[in-house]
Formats: sequence, structure tokens, C-alpha cells
Amino acid sequence: MPFGALEEIIVLDLSDRLAASFCAKTLGLYGCEVIKVESLEGDPLRQWTSPTQNGQVDDSPIFLHLNAGKKSISMDLHSKKGQSLLADLMKVSDVVIESQKPGHWEEKGLAYNQIKNINPSIIFTSVTPYGQTGPYKNFAYDELTLFAMTGAMNREGLPDREPLRYAGEIAQYFAGNAAAAATASTLFKRTLTGEGDWLDISIQECMAGHPHQIGRRAPYIYAGEPDPRSQPRTSASGAREPYAVGTFRCKDGYFSFLPLGPRMWPNIAKMINREDLMTHPKYDDTIKRSENKDELEAIFQAWLNDKTREEIFKAVQAAGVPGSPILQPEEVHKNEQFIARDFFQDVTHPNGQTLRMTGDPFRLSNTANSQIEPAPTLGQNTTQVLQNLLHMSNDEIEALTTEKII
Amino acid sequence: MKLCASKPLSTIRALELSEIWAGPFCGCLMGNMGAEIIKVESIQRIGRGPINPPSNAGGYPDDDPGNDPWNRQSNFNAINRNKKSLTLDLKTEQGLNAFKDLVSQSDIVFCNYARTVMENFGLSYDEVRKIKPDIIYMLMPGYGNTGPYADYRSMGMAIDAITGHSFLRGYPDMDHSSNSLVHHPDAVAATNGVMAIASALVHRTKTGEGQFIDMSQAESFMTHLGEIYLENQMQSFSRQRRGNRHPDFAPQGVYKCSGEDNWIAISIKSDADWSKFKATVGNNNLNSDVFDTLAGRQQHHDQIDKVINEWTCSQDRYDVLNRLQSDQITSGVVLDCGSDSYADPHLNERDFFQIVEHPSAGIYPMTGPIFKFESSNGHVIHNPAPCLGQDNMYVLKEVLGYGTDKITQFEANEIIGTVPLPGSDMGGSRRVAK
Repeated sequence: MPFGALEEIIVLDLSDRLAASFCAKTLGLYGCEVIKVESLEGDPLRQWTSPTQNGQVDDSPIFLHLNAGKKSISMDLHSKKGQSLLADLMKVSDVVIESQKPGHWEEKGLAYNQIKNINPSIIFTSVTPYGQTGPYKNFAYDELTLFAMTGAMNREGLPDREPLRYAGEIAQYFAGNAAAAATASTLFKRTLTGEGDWLDISIQECMAGHPHQIGRRAPYIYAGEPDPRSQPRTSASGAREPYAVGTFRCKDGYFSFLPLGPRMWPNIAKMINREDLMTHPKYDDTIKRSENKDELEAIFQAWLNDKTREEIFKAVQAAGVPGSPILQPEEVHKNEQFIARDFFQDVTHPNGQTLRMTGDPFRLSNTANSQIEPAPTLGQNTTQVLQNLLHMSNDEIEALTTEKII
Repeated sequence: MKLCASKPLSTIRALELSEIWAGPFCGCLMGNMGAEIIKVESIQRIGRGPINPPSNAGGYPDDDPGNDPWNRQSNFNAINRNKKSLTLDLKTEQGLNAFKDLVSQSDIVFCNYARTVMENFGLSYDEVRKIKPDIIYMLMPGYGNTGPYADYRSMGMAIDAITGHSFLRGYPDMDHSSNSLVHHPDAVAATNGVMAIASALVHRTKTGEGQFIDMSQAESFMTHLGEIYLENQMQSFSRQRRGNRHPDFAPQGVYKCSGEDNWIAISIKSDADWSKFKATVGNNNLNSDVFDTLAGRQQHHDQIDKVINEWTCSQDRYDVLNRLQSDQITSGVVLDCGSDSYADPHLNERDFFQIVEHPSAGIYPMTGPIFKFESSNGHVIHNPAPCLGQDNMYVLKEVLGYGTDKITQFEANEIIGTVPLPGSDMGGSRRVAK
């Protein structure tokens, strides 16, 4: 059984893009019953960078991840009957998550301001690239182009080269997470007041209002400080030790360090077994260490060269120096910490394949962790949902099937 | 300022013990949704930048740290909006008892210090719930509260590294030592923290039970990389660094525009997009049939990029953007966090920035909330970050009902205060101006 905090909450997931889909998934991890409403063709993300396993085309990894634990009902959303069926579902649901262009649902009579007449306590969460208003509201987007417009990209990469995106679909996941948090907060208010609401979540604003970006925007507006890309090994901060900041090669890979200021210098000197350097006239204060950065970096690098990430990780923790190994993705689920916490769960999919999937981003004291379930096949739960939520008879369901509405 | 009653969390009081980003942003988001966030600080240890910053320290209003730099630090003021500040010396019995009294008047305690900090104060979950059985209590160390790394120190960049995200970032033609440090996971811990707390609040309403929330910043962020871990199991090859490219879209990249460090990001997501795009660029070098398929465009990506760069480099980035978007070609300009975002018409039309008057730092348009609620009718809460100890009187007098004598004694014993004590300087990250 999933964690029960949001049990008995029914979420209609109308998403066809990543952020909204992840929002619905997150609500599912906290116990909501998430019903994914797909077109008869299915969520386009099913075929997103779809890999083949033994020549067989499966649902994509991203679809399997985003939809683990959801139910699927598929219907013809272009038809009047399909739309009326969706209205019936909205009437008995608690939350609707959607990602269409602003105005899309209005034409079908299914927008928040229309649905709240039949379900006043409905919470409608719209997760779109640029929000419901403003000149960019209909802009075409993907992770790259949206990430560019959040402020996050301009700082990523080298000064003399093009700015870079992060790996993965980071802005969209982040916005999905934020949207879920806002939705859950609204659900809390609803338990007290019975009131619904419409949430307008802009992925651009989520990333632009993210601490990274806030932290760069504030010095600009206070003092006109520009926000350029910088060399990776030059700390942006004068208070940090200049030679051990950034990512360094070691014996079996790479390791990232961020010592937090001059008070870290003794810890570092001890860690690399060079306490003698602490009193060395070339290195005995921050400014000198800064001026002699290259020499110190070479000493530091020599210490790193014959050490594995594991050995360095133990050493930085013993020395109290912030640092961490760069793992390759396939190493992550073999890591002792995540194994000790049973973070990954083995999930067997309908095609018989067992995959290790990410679990809950939280642990709660009063309840067991979620049991991660596989993503549904297209329309897997159509009959069940119509029977349970709309109390339809077999004859009614058969008629809809014959008419190709479901 | 009285909080707007229609906000999702306006009935809630939370105690924040946090520095830097993950915990403070969690409080910031809840404050934006109406919760009363009491940031518990102390005059014995200052997490608001250095007390006497050097003259070249950046990030203060007009480059002037002033007489009270701890109230004027830009990062602190930006991320601690909509909070109250209470100072308490939790290492004294009086301070500790005041905190416990406050717990009995609160709904939530959350902390992003190392796992053992609260325990060492005598404020573990087990202690705190003796005072308030239905308290919701969250600790959010880097690797969670159990397992071999439970007491490992971490920061956002450490989580970025250990989850595999750092491995996949960066220029594909360079090695990882060219990577910048990214602290994005801090923010993810904050949104997940709000999610967990809000769910626990719903649970409390239904059952009367509180919760201990064990948040691992690493696991939080790993849920954002789920498909990458699955790819390794479903495919015979592992994902490598892609830079600005994508396996299904080509060309895709970031191209130079006119002016200094101005760029536009473009993604061609289908053959149909490609034919519209090449007509817009109007360069015969793009007319080869070879480029009409994804595979062909991927094979000749560098060559196509060269032509696109020639087309964009003399144009204004917004002109290119508007022209491409009028054909629904996926594109976006690269905005910096300074003048670009403040000038962006869309962010402005949506009132993303809010004018905030801070008693010490002055009046500036600051980054606003990221959630918009229909029920608020455009009204957003944006109170300035609190000055150190600004709300000591409010909390001790109005919330806890302490008498004047007791409060005077608190001041005399330096349990509370508004000026950092000598030796309380924890430094902290900051920029060097220019």
C-alpha cells in the first residue's frame, strides 16, 4: 500500500508532457489514485526516444518512470461523447493535472471555470512552459529552449563557448515537483475549507525563481553585478579556497570539491598529509594561496592521482571537507547508501522484464514506503475506472467501445 | 502584515532552522503560500554572510555592506522573503525552553543542518513530539537519516555528483574537470520538502497524527533522473554526455546572435519543422535531400550548425525568436539572471518581479513567487526578508506571552538580540564584485 497521506484523493492526469506527468506521479507516491487519461493513440511520451530490447519496441524509459503506479484510461477526446465522459470524470475527481496550451479546454467546455460549476472543490493544476498568460504563452518548447529562458543556462559552461543545458529534463522535472507541492498545499486548504482552486504553474518561472537564479539575480539588482559564465576552477566566491574548488580527475574517475572558505585550509592540508604547508610562507594565508593556486593545485592533484573515488570520499568525510564522487548512472543503484535505504525497487513490467526503479523521495515515520507499481499499458484500466468511478454497466461500456469512444 | 486568509497554508506556523538554500527555499515557498515561517537564528552564529565583509565584497546594495551587513546580504534577502526572524541561543537552558514553548504553538519544525544538530540541542523528533505529539518534523540531510552516509556532509554539488547528473553534464568534447559546480539538488529538496510537509498536514487533519519526515536530498533528486537509470537496464549502451543535442531532434543547439554573449536555442523536432526552418533561413546549403531525414541531419549536424550560426550571428536574438515562434519552431533566447530577465517582456507581463521595501537594504524589484493561484486574483505575498532578530518581541510577547521582565532577562543574557556577537562570523559564500 502506498503512503496514505493523500489516500482517497482522485487525480485525473491529462498530461501529455513531462512536467505535468511528473506532478501527477509525485501525488501518486503520496497515496493519490492517479488516473491517466490518454487519447486512443496514447501519451506521446510512450514513444519518446524509445529503445528497443531484443528488437522489440517497448514503452520508453521516460514513460515507464513517469507513469509508474498510475492507471490508464484511453478515450477519444476529439469526440463530443468522449468530452462528456471526461466531464463526468472531472465531476467525481479531486484534482486535474493538465499541460495543454492555454484555451485548449475552454473550447471543449472543460476548463476550470466551467468545471467548477459542477465540481466546486476541484483543484485544477495547469503546468505549462510559460503559464496561462503573457506573450510567450503559446511558444513551442522543449527542455533546451525552455532551460535557455530561465536564466539557468547562461551561467553553465565556459566563458568562451556556447552556454550549456543540464543533462536530463531538469527544468521540467523541477516544475513538476513544485506543481505537486503547490497542489498538495491546496489539498490541505481544501480539507479545511472545501474550496478548490486553479493553479497556473509556469515551468519558466519555477526555474527562474529557483535559488540558483535568485541568488544571481539579487546581486545584479542590488549592485549591478553581471552574471557571466566563469572558468570552472575559479570559485566565484572570494571566501573559498581557490585551488581545491571544482571537479578533479582521480585514479578511477572524477571527484567534485567545494571547500567553504579559509577555515577549511587546515582540514585540506591534513587530509593530503601536508600539514607542513600550513606554515609555509607561500601558503599561509588566503591571498597567498590564491596567488600560488597553480602550485597548490598540482600538489592536490598529485594526492588525487593514485586514489580512488571511494578512498577520497572516506578522506573528505574524515576531514570535514565538502566533496563527492561523480558516479556514472549505472553505478548509482549499486551504491551502498541507496542499497542500505532500499531506495530502488525491483518492478516487474507486463512484458516480463524486471527493472530497478527509483522509489520514494521521502520516508515518513508512520507508514511504510510506497510499493512501486509498473506503468500501465494503454487503456489498461478503462473498464475498471468507468465501473468504479462512474458506476457504468457492462452494456454502457460495451456501447462506448463499439462506438470507438474508449 | 496580516497574512491573506485565502492562502493554502495561512493557518500554519513553521519553525525553520536552516541555512544556504535547501531549507531556506523550502520555507520561502511555504511563506509564499501563506504559512508563518519563523526562522530561528542566533546572535552566536550568523548564517547571513560575513559580519565585516572586505571592502570588495559584492552583493550588497550599491556595493555598500553598511553598518549591518547581515541585514543587507543579497542572497540571504532574496531567499528568506516572507519569514520572521527569531534569535535564540539554543545552547542555553532559557533559549532551549523558549524554543520548546514555541514548538507547542507550531505545526512544523524543519531543519537542513547536518543530521545530528537538532539531537545535540536536545531537540530530536522524540523530544519535540513529547511537547507537541502531532508535530510534523523534517530533517533533510544530503543522504537521508539512515544508512552508512547518514552523517556524511554534503552540498548541492555533492548530490549532483553522486546521482550521476554531473557525469552527464558538460561539453562532450571536454573532460569532466571542465564542469562547473551545480547546486540544483538544493532546490529539489525544497520542493520535495514542501510536498512531504503538505501531505503530512493532510494526514494530520484526517488522523490527528504527526510525522517524522526523513528526506534524503539525493533520493529526492534521483526521482528526476529515473529514466536515465532505466535506460541503463533497457539498452545495451549507456547514455553519454549530449551537450546541447538530443537523440530525437536535430539540428538542436545554442547559436550566437548579435551583441555580446547573446544566444538563441533552437530545436528542430520533426521533418516538417525542418522544412519550415530551412525556408526561413533561406540558405541553399541547407537544401540537400540528405538533410530531410533525422538521420541525415544528425550525421551532418556540425555542418548544419555552421550555416545556422552564420544566419543567427548578425541578428538580434529576440527577432530570431519571434520569427521562429511565428512558425511554431521550438526556440528560446538565453537569458541571464540580471538585465536579461529583468527586461524580459513575458516575465514582466506576468508580474514575476515584485517591488520590495527592506528596512535596511532599500527598495528593489525582487524575484517573486513561482506559484499563481486563481483564488488570489493576482495578489501575491512578498514581504522582505527579516532583519536579524526582527520578530523577537512578536514571538516572545505575542505568541508565547512572556512578560517584560523575562524578555529583559533574555536580552541581558544574550539569548536574543539583533546584533551578532563577536566570534559569531561563519563567513559564508559571497561574490567578489567585478
